[in-house]
Formats: sequence, structure tokens, C-alpha cells
Amino acid sequence: MSNNPVEKTENFEPKILVFACNWCTYAGADLAGVSRLQYPPNVRVLRVPCSCRVNPQFVVRAFQRGIDGVLVAGCHPGDCHYTTGNYYTRRRFLLMTRMLEYVGIDSGRFQTRWISGSEGPKFQEVVTEMTEIIRQLGPNQKLRDDVTIEMQDFEEEAVNE
Amino acid sequence: MERVGVFVCHCGSNIGSVVDCAKVAEELRNYPNVVHSVDYKYMCSEPGQNLIKEAVKEHNLNRVVVCSCSPRMHENTFRACVAQAGLNPYMFEMANIREHCSWVHAGHNEEATAKAIDLAKMAVAKVCKNKELKKGHSPVTKRALVVGGGIAGIQAALDIANNGYQVDILERTPSIGGKMAQIDKTFPTIDCSACILTPRMVEASSHPNIKLITFAELEKVEGYVGNFDVTIRSKARSVDMSKCTGCGTCMTKCPGKADDEFNMNLQKRPAIYTPFPQAIPNKPVIDRESCLKFKSRKDGKDVCGICAKVCPAGAIDYEQEDEIFVEHYGAIVMATGYDQFDHSVYGEYGYGKYPDVISGLHFERLVNASGPTMGHIVRPSDHKEPKTVVMVKCVGSRDPEHGKSYCSRTCCMYSAKQATLIRDHCPDTKVYIFYMDVRTPGKGYDEFYNRTREEYGVEYIRGRVSKIYQDGEQLIVKGEDSLLGRPVEILADMVILADAMIPQNDAAKMAQIVGIGYDNDGWFTEAHAKLGPVETHTAGIFLAGACQGPKDIPDTVAQAGAAAVKVCGLLSKDQLETDPCTSEIDPALCAGCGHCVGVCPYKAISLETIEERKAGKTISRQVAKVNASLCQGCGACTVTCRSSAANLNHFTNAQILAEVDALCQTIL
Amino acid sequence: MLEMQQEMRKVAKELLESGEATVVIGWEKGALPYQTSPVLIRSAEETEKLVWDEYCQQNLSNYLIDFVYSDEKVAIFAKGCDTRAFNRLVQDKRIKAEQFTVIGVPCPGMKDRKQAAKGVADVPLAKACQECRYPNPVYANRTLGQPVTPRATAPDYSDVEAIEAMSADEKAKFWQEQYSKCIRCYACRNVCPACNCTNCIFDQSKSGWQSKDINASENQFYGITRAFHVAGRCIECGQCDMVCPSDVPIMLMNKKAKKDLDQLFGQYDAGLETESLIPLGRYDVNDPEEFM
Repeated sequence: MSNNPVEKTENFEPKILVFACNWCTYAGADLAGVSRLQYPPNVRVLRVPCSCRVNPQFVVRAFQRGIDGVLVAGCHPGDCHYTTGNYYTRRRFLLMTRMLEYVGIDSGRFQTRWISGSEGPKFQEVVTEMTEIIRQLGPNQKLRDDVTIEMQDFEEEAVNE
Repeated sequence: MERVGVFVCHCGSNIGSVVDCAKVAEELRNYPNVVHSVDYKYMCSEPGQNLIKEAVKEHNLNRVVVCSCSPRMHENTFRACVAQAGLNPYMFEMANIREHCSWVHAGHNEEATAKAIDLAKMAVAKVCKNKELKKGHSPVTKRALVVGGGIAGIQAALDIANNGYQVDILERTPSIGGKMAQIDKTFPTIDCSACILTPRMVEASSHPNIKLITFAELEKVEGYVGNFDVTIRSKARSVDMSKCTGCGTCMTKCPGKADDEFNMNLQKRPAIYTPFPQAIPNKPVIDRESCLKFKSRKDGKDVCGICAKVCPAGAIDYEQEDEIFVEHYGAIVMATGYDQFDHSVYGEYGYGKYPDVISGLHFERLVNASGPTMGHIVRPSDHKEPKTVVMVKCVGSRDPEHGKSYCSRTCCMYSAKQATLIRDHCPDTKVYIFYMDVRTPGKGYDEFYNRTREEYGVEYIRGRVSKIYQDGEQLIVKGEDSLLGRPVEILADMVILADAMIPQNDAAKMAQIVGIGYDNDGWFTEAHAKLGPVETHTAGIFLAGACQGPKDIPDTVAQAGAAAVKVCGLLSKDQLETDPCTSEIDPALCAGCGHCVGVCPYKAISLETIEERKAGKTISRQVAKVNASLCQGCGACTVTCRSSAANLNHFTNAQILAEVDALCQTIL
Repeated sequence: MLEMQQEMRKVAKELLESGEATVVIGWEKGALPYQTSPVLIRSAEETEKLVWDEYCQQNLSNYLIDFVYSDEKVAIFAKGCDTRAFNRLVQDKRIKAEQFTVIGVPCPGMKDRKQAAKGVADVPLAKACQECRYPNPVYANRTLGQPVTPRATAPDYSDVEAIEAMSADEKAKFWQEQYSKCIRCYACRNVCPACNCTNCIFDQSKSGWQSKDINASENQFYGITRAFHVAGRCIECGQCDMVCPSDVPIMLMNKKAKKDLDQLFGQYDAGLETESLIPLGRYDVNDPEEFM
């Protein structure tokens, strides 16, 4: 990790992982698509049923594996499809945002946001802004395990399961 | 051994014009566990689905990934296809390379293709960890709740009841009827609103399958499709419904006075009242805010009590309290209607201060034969018949700055209707209508509009009104005729503003209570704009009428009927298939701490005692167990569980970690 | 302390002789003065082994987990922190309070055994003991001696604040250095009364959460995850710091979590009672909103 091979480059394009709840944010991202709202191609959405399914350990794992930014997004408080899921999300990530920054994750690399199913423009706005912030910050160097998983390892894992 | 087939869809040019689908297929061909990878024009088409079925056979696939549109669109289509191919439908994943990729990265073909490859790899990594899942079953309570007793709710309830199912109508005001009861005539036929509504109200109240719960509020909705537990607060009427005969003596003697909401505050009503003479149930309630007795009680006194003295049935009960009870339903129809935009935000229209600048709904009461003026069109200020009336459309509609961005859909037609009514009642009165556009998409609507101009001589002026102000007894309306490009000034006796339709002021709160989505304006969100217009994303909850968006009566009735059909379809089943994507707890890993029990919103987790062998003897200990028919699959428990004993089927820790790893693998 | 020691021996003897207890958990002398360690006493004669000295820091409550399925009648000596640990275990349903006899011992604060091992002349109190706000038992069937005055009235977060004041890069460097020393022996977890799962995810090789690699990144995954798991459960006994062979400042992570939880959701000192839900196990609709 100390001699990280990733250097800050002029044309750095970050890779950002978005955990999106199925009912609000995923629908909001779909709406952005249907409305043809353009945003940087840096984000990859991972669908979860509810933002409360997102274990903060997934976020740490993503940083370990070299992700440049992580967004956890769900329904606005009060609008959760499962009534109360996002209230737990809010508690967990209010704490974990602080903990991650405490161990050195740059402020802005990890974010939690509420984006409803009707907020296609907000999805566009949030991911665009986040991409810009992380472009400025450069590649993530923190918490990285510095070892890219080899294809072989991946196959073995798959077989073991 | 995982054998994954990857199918990349062009969606015509929707994906193919941005994402290099052949390249995605080719890249994936070399990805671990992928044994077959192709691209095709339309994967969802029959030939496309056949492609999957044949490939499953030919290449002995045991997992399928389709890279196409949103799973919210076609996940079920492809699951069915995969099942027909002989695989478990859950051995399938979708990569969304349309809504999340080609549509939002137009012109960035290279980056979009790289992203599509990432998304496909994530789907492959996940599908390799998918497990075969089987749907469960849950029972259905064969009874429906309709929230809102306007025309939408009444129609939905009648349609459900006529199909043989029990249905309750929950209405918060003392009577069913809703906004339609306030309207005088309906366009484009000019038939009397009450004449077509009240028979339906009577039918609903006397239907053996329908129960009316009026003057009551929805407090809480728990449970899930087929099994909702609804908490209802029945507000204190202060009148014993079982004793009251509805004779109305109390109302004639009551000395209390309050604004008459039903008549848009154009007159007063007693404190003990029914909203209108044809109200159902036709039994009064006491409005405790205006009742002299209840007001005096606040000051420690206890006066009046006339209604109790005059009531021949002894039905008045001042001590009645709100009653809270829980009812069980299999399905819920939301039919909570709309409200009228408050035009007092507009300074140019006088901030709502001029008495003779009224709203469309005010006019309905003015022109109604049983309204405060017995149907004589007179100005509220001096009760004189207006000789010149100006109508202004799009008040609050199509005005994102001060009002709403949407079109309220009904104003063009009701303004035309009201103009003809004025011309009918007062043939000497001139009517001008200021408009931005005239929108008449409905059967017989454009013909009606043409008659308004041609036969009734109503003058349409295209343009905005810039100012209305009082000049003596009259109002000066200043505007611009944008077709002629010149300013207009009209000396009017009365102005009618076509106020926008807006959601009920507590619509968002109501949506939160029942657990459905709502848009930025507060309209309830349908499951799909085109293919699911009466469904919501919450199974078992349906929408009828204007609570979903501005609608006129024909559309409302049609939608109510559609919602009723969906409800009947649901209630006709003895059992419902349940989503197998539920939580499971591994008893071997569970320490029995019980923290998951507390975070579960569905009370689906409980602690149970198991026996096991430990150090040579049988011990009993507690572990958490999920009731799969109650679990809705949110996953809250999985994060609460520190030892990962709780896992969510189809969204397991291993699956999500595999996706994260697959995505990050391509970094550097 | 000698007086208390006599009292403890007497009580233990009575309990064993009367049959009220078949085993008493306390502390005994180690090979070196600072190596006082836990002991299980099963007979009246053995009670002479019991000591109460300046190195009885080790939290005894975790031993009770081993007796949950035993027929033995267990009595345990417990300082303030041991009783908070006891409550925590009850709260996580790992033990039942009524199964055990808790004999409370007000604690004057224990000395820093790591400093003693280094041969420091005037050994200071352990850091956790210096900052201790609950030296007196918060739960006990009976309590010996007189209550002592808490050594602190408010939590001391100056060490956490010093880290917070660093730049992101400095923080990352600091923690990477700290966690590159970690050998993942899991001693901190084993000794921790908040870490009480029957099957820790770090023992589940198939869970996929963590590889066996020992490097700063994997070790930090362990460290952050553990801090998250004990957030709202940590009773600030400082055992983790005391047992870490690599001197990783583990409490510095746990205290950060506590500081933030308190600030965000109201002060919550774990293990004072057994009824409440931990901060991450509940919510308030009016929680701070930062995610709009």
C-alpha cells in the first residue's frame, strides 16, 4: 500500500460504486435514463432491495479493492418501501462516514444520499458532482490491499462456494 | 460447475447505437465461468427468448445473464423465459445497460461500452453465487379497503362489491361524495353532477358487501399484500349513529355557526351538521371547534346543549371519544382525491383578497340550485348579477415558478362548461376566457369547446392576465392578447380563476403511512406510467382517481374500475405466491442475541429454542428464526447481525461481495 | 486493598462452604507482580489464592459464557467495568443474570501492566482506569467495601481529537502504520465483552468477508469492522489495548465510535442497564439529517 502504483494523473477517470435501493434510487436512476439525463460514465449501480441491506463492510471492501468512491443511496426518510429500513441506514452511515474519514478516507469519497424514484435529475446531479469531487481527489490510495485479484483466485473462489 | 450464458441486447438502436454490444459479448466470452456469450437485436422478443432457451440446451447452461434494460422492466419476462428453458428462474441476473448506460452516456460510446462490460461482469459474478429459490405461499384476506369516498372510491368499492367481495370505504369527512358532490354540472354533457352521483352513493351505502366508515382517519398500515392490518381512528361524531334517525331537528335549532366548507365558505352552517342535504350517512356530526358547548367547556363552563334537548331520539352524546380499531384487508385502493390550488399566492390576482375574484369550485356552488344562492349567479360581494365575467385559466398550473409545472387537465373543460352555464343562466352577461392553450383531448370535448365559442359566444383571449384590481364596484382585468399582440383591459363584475388541481395537503404523509411512493408534487406514484397505471410498487395497494394525478370524472371512474379489477384478481386467489428473496438465519452461526428481532419492520423474526449437542451433552439455546411468509426481504437484519448468521436470499453477502470484487477487478 | 482482599477471601469461603457457590471467579498472583490473572476457586482451602491488588484489571465477566450450560453455581467478583460487561452480556442474551452471583468490588483503578513490564519505576494507572467514570459496580447481588469516587466525570476524547485534527493523508498513514503491526491474533476480540458472538465472522473462513492475508489493508478491515461491531456496546474497559501484543491503539477506534454515537444520537454508556436497545439497533425519525 505504501508504494501504491496508482499515481494521480491528468486524465484520471474515477470508478464509483453506487449501492442503490430497488424502490427509490434504482428507480430514480432508471428515470434519469428514461429522461435521457446525461451524467459521467464513471458510476456503476449495484442493486440492493433497501439501503439498509448495505453493510458498511461492503464499503470498506470496495475501498480495499481499489474503488475510488462509494455512494449509498436510498429512499428519503419516511418513504422507505420497508417503512423503517433507511432510518437504520441513516444511523449506520452517519457513524461510518465519520469512521471512514477517521481512518483517512478523503471526505467526499464516501457519501450517503436520499434519492427518490421521481428524482432522476437528483440522481444525475449527485453522481455528476461526486464524479467531479473524486476527479479532483485523484485515485483512492487509502485502505487498498494493493493486490489486484487474479483471475485464478476468482475462479477458485467461485468453485469453493 | 457454473456454466453462464451471457446475452447482450441491442434494444434496436436504444443500446446498440451507444454500446458496442458485440464487443461486450466478446469480452464476456473470456470471463470466468462464461461458456456462451452473444449479442442480439431484441432479447425480449420471441426470437430473442428462444435464443436463450436454445442456448441453455445446446451449451448446457445453468445460469443466464441478460444485458439489456432495467430489471424493473423485464426481470420477470426473462425469469419466465429461463424457467421455460428448464432452469430455476432465480439462476438469472440482469445487467442494466440501457437506462443506466446507453441512455445516459450518449456520444460516449467507448466509456459506455467499458461500463456495460463492467456491469455485465458484475452480473456474471453475482449469478455464479445465485442459488435455486422457490416461491412460498401466504393466505389472502378476502376483503378490500378503499381509502376515500369520492367518486373514485365509490366506483371502486361498487365494482369490488358487485364481484362478490367485502369492501370498506374509509372517508375522513362526515359523508361520502367527495368533490363531485360539490360540482353542479359535468362536461361535456351538462348533466347534473348530483343526479348521477347520489344514486351511486345510495347504492354504495345499501350494498350488502359495502361498509361505510365515515368521519374516520387512516392511522397505520401494517402487513403486506393479502394480509394488511389497518389501524383506523373513528372520530367522535358526538352523535350516536345507532339512535339518530337523521330527522335534522338539531341542525335547525343549533345556535353555533361555522363556515360552510361544502359551499366554499360562501355561507354559514350550524355546528351540528351534515355537509349537504343528500349526505350519506345522512346523520349529523358536531363540529367541536364551532359548537358553543364544546367551546365553553374549554373555559371551564358548560352551556347550550340545545341539540341534546331537541333530539327526539336522544342520540346526542357529548362524551363520545375517538375510537381506534384494527381491521384486516387483503388489498387497499387509495382514492384520496385532490385539493384545489390556493390562488392567494398570486399578487397579480389580488392575493385572494377581492371577494368577486373566485375559484372554479366557488362558482360550482354559486351556480348550483341547492347552493347558497339557489343557483342564481350573483357576485359574492353584493349579490348582484354580473354583467361581465372574466375567466382565467392555468392558475397555478403550468407555472413552475409560483405554482405547479403540470397541466391540471380539467380546467380547459370546466372553464368552457362554466362559461356556457353563465350564458345559459344570464344570456346578457359577457364572458371572456384568458387562456394559454386550449386542451380538449376527450370524447366530445373539442366539439363542446367549439360550441362554447360559436353557439354561446364566449370570447377566448389568448394571453396571460397581468393584473386584476378593484376599481369601485368593478374589477379591472389587464392582460395581453398575444395573438393580436396588444394589451387588453376588461372592466369585469366577477373573475373566475381556474385553480390547479393539487394533491391533498397530507398526501405525502398518507403515502408514508400506507408505504407507497409519491412524486415531487405529492401525487401517488403508479408502478409503471404505461403498463401499471393503477398499481403501486407496493403489492396489494392500488390507485384510483386524482390521487395519482389530475383527472376528470370519466378517467377517474375508468381508473377506479381498473383498480377494482386488480383487487378482485388478487382476492380471487386463495393463496399468494411470496417472493423467495427473504432473509434466512443460520442457527449454527446465530448467537441468539436477538438484535435482528428489534430491527425487523415486519415482526418476521422471533427467537426460538433449539436443542443441540455441546461438549457431550444436550443443551437448549435460543436462536433467531425468520418467518418467510412475513419477511419482505429488506435486509435490515443482515447488517445488524455481526456474525452474518442472517443472510438475505438472492442478495447474500457472498453475492454482493462478488459484485464488488468483479467491479474492482477491472481497476488498474 | 489488603482489607478488601481479606473480605473477598472470607466471602468466597462462605459461598463455597455454604454451597451457595461451587466455583468462585477472582484473581490470583502471577509469576511477576504485574501478572495478576483470573482464577477459578472451587474449594474453601483455595480461597487463600485470591488476591486484590493493583493489577486486577482483567475483566472476568467473559468467563461466565463458559458456564451458561454448566450445572455449577458460579459466583464472580466484579469491578465497575466487570459489571458493565456483565450487563452487556445479559443484553446480548449471552448469559442470564439470575444464573450467577455477582459480588461487586469498588475499584480504585488498576495500574498499566504494559508500563510495569517495561520496568517503569512509578507505574501509572492504565489509561482506561484514568478515564473511568464507573469504578463502582452498576449491578451486583452484594457489594463489598465502600463506593469510591469516580476518577473522571466526563469522557476524555483528547486522544481522538488529536487524530481528528490530522489531514486525511496523515490519518491514513497513522492507521496504516498502526495496523501493519497487527498480527490478527484476535486477542482483542477474545478478551472483549462486547465481542461475544458464538461464531465471529473472522473465524468463518467461508464467509468471504476476509482473506487470510495479513497486511495493513486486511488488518484495517478487521479493525474498522470490529469498531463497527462494538459501537454502542464498548464499555471502555480498555482490555483490548492491554492485551494487544503489537500495541495497536484499539481503544482509539472504539472511543471514536462512542464519541460520534453520543454526539449524533445522545449519550449512551453501554452496560449500565440491560433493557435499552443499543444506538445502532434503534432509530429516531428526528435523527440528524446529513444525506439530503
